[in-house]
Amino acid sequence: MIMFDRITGPAAARLLLATAATLLASFPAALSPARAQEPAKPAQIVINDSGGDMQATMRKIFYKAFEDRYGIRVVTTSPPDLGKLRAMVASGNVDWTVTELTGQEAIDAEKAGLLEKLDLNIIDLSPYPEHLRQRQFIFPKSVYSTVMAYRTDKFPGENHPKSWADFFDVKKFPGMRSLQNTPLENLEFALLADGVAPDKLYPLDVDRAFKKLDTIKKHVAVWWTTGAQSVQALVDGEAVMGTAWNGRVWALMKQGAPLAIEWNGGAIKEAAYAIPKGAANSYWGQKFLALAAEPKPQGEYANTIGYPGLNLESIKFTAADVAPFMPTYPDNLKKQFWTDLVWWSENGNAIKERWARWILEN
Amino acid sequence: MRRGLFSLNLSRKTWSGIGGAVPPILYITLLFLLPVLIFLGGAFDDTPRHLVRSVSDPLYQRVLIDTLMLGLYVTGICFILGYPLAYALSVMPPRWALVGFAFLLLPFWTSLLVRTYAWMVLLGRNGVINNLLMGLGLIDTPVSFLNNMSGVLIGMVHVLLPYMVFPLFDVMKRVDGSLLSAAEGLGAPGWKIFLRVYLPLTLPGILAGSVLVFVLSIGFYITPALLGGGRVATMALMIERQVREFLDWDFAAALSLVLLICTLLVSIGLGRLLRGKEIHG
Repeated sequence: MIMFDRITGPAAARLLLATAATLLASFPAALSPARAQEPAKPAQIVINDSGGDMQATMRKIFYKAFEDRYGIRVVTTSPPDLGKLRAMVASGNVDWTVTELTGQEAIDAEKAGLLEKLDLNIIDLSPYPEHLRQRQFIFPKSVYSTVMAYRTDKFPGENHPKSWADFFDVKKFPGMRSLQNTPLENLEFALLADGVAPDKLYPLDVDRAFKKLDTIKKHVAVWWTTGAQSVQALVDGEAVMGTAWNGRVWALMKQGAPLAIEWNGGAIKEAAYAIPKGAANSYWGQKFLALAAEPKPQGEYANTIGYPGLNLESIKFTAADVAPFMPTYPDNLKKQFWTDLVWWSENGNAIKERWARWILEN
Repeated sequence: MRRGLFSLNLSRKTWSGIGGAVPPILYITLLFLLPVLIFLGGAFDDTPRHLVRSVSDPLYQRVLIDTLMLGLYVTGICFILGYPLAYALSVMPPRWALVGFAFLLLPFWTSLLVRTYAWMVLLGRNGVINNLLMGLGLIDTPVSFLNNMSGVLIGMVHVLLPYMVFPLFDVMKRVDGSLLSAAEGLGAPGWKIFLRVYLPLTLPGILAGSVLVFVLSIGFYITPALLGGGRVATMALMIERQVREFLDWDFAAALSLVLLICTLLVSIGLGRLLRGKEIHG
């Protein structure tokens, strides 16, 4: 199917016609012959992403490849915003051809009916892990992990925190902490620290988690909001250890910051791409996702920014020296757990309000 | 005849004035007021449950009070810093006043995020200010300027100070110097001239500046989130979360309505208070 993209001219038209004919035969009423023709090429498509370093890397690898292949310009906006997506779909004025979403945002967007169905005839998910191959609405863009990061100058050699139990132990590992200002994953970390087995986390014992979090609350210097802030707190010494997204820490480690990642107990999850419902040029959005599913650009992207794609063949294109810094590196993967975003989507709102209340209590 | 002509001219002027005002009024009604009203209408579901929840839930009560207090603190600090500053600018030779304004306006042209992160670099535990104070031997351990209320106040006052200074400067420039001379000539001591003459004359500036700063400060979002280390919650943050994360726009509308009403009440109250003082003065 990937090769299919590169077939142009009469061959492509023949293939498309053949596909259309087969489909027409099975659903004569549902499909019009217009489907057989490739929609006209627009001058540009709009991709909404997280901006910053990630956008620069996306531009260099994915957007450029798309522009070169189809002659359609990729215009970018940022950041991903669920509220804005809903407003766009509701008003029928959808600017984005494709948008990035966090794993949980994507699930919420799918539930709210804000997404266009993925065309798996265009997007080839067969080299993906089996549970992802039949994705209906959410394209699995890459994986990232919320990990524990610590200052190597404060904890040199082997004397560093190695588990969430250590993170919560301020006697053994003194100093201020920083955590994200959300219950998502902090509850999991607290339960792991309290002795819950990683495979027994869900459904979360919310009360037990908050009780454990009480013990560390006054040792948290920063409840961070943005990715930049999470690592800033560590680099500036506001905290000696804290949580951050793996790529953020790795970027600073490469620049020589005295930081290290402890993968044990890291919370791994998907970042997503999706096509908003009613997006103009959605066909070319599907084509972009088809390109984003290819292993080679995924491997190059991971080499630069530390967030690997989920095409299992992309590992072939990942440099050997950067592989140990990827959340999907086998040694790392087995130490982490997958955040259950479906559980959070179903139960999260009430817990998030409780969290806001808890943070404001002294 | 002359009077008729005069009144004709007047009405023509009036009409053209009204005609000129129609496009902006239409523009504001259609593109601002109407959408806001439609949005706020969401708060009035079949039942008033959203409104009841937004005023009865302890979380939102607490955040509302914190937000209003934050607004008052920021307004107070801006006044204390802005009043002497505006006075100094108003009596300076114009060339120096220009330099002063340049410094005041410089942060205006810088992105809010850049300014906020710049404060992190300055105020942090290993930041410029703490290192300076420790280098001078004034303190032994770093002072926590950041990730608490003080960080939020510093960041917000920095952003909002010009809104206090400009109305004050404008009023102070127009204060009739002969009134002050007269008071002096009649033997009033300096502090009395200030309290009885200068302060009442500049009250409209204080009022305008305070309302501007207060109203702007209670809508703040990113500065408290970043410089408060997560400990300072504002209504704007709660509303944003409902809109973007929970997709509960009706409840967001109810929270917005509560904040809007409080803003109006406090602004009107503040105006009354200051105007009352003006009469007594």
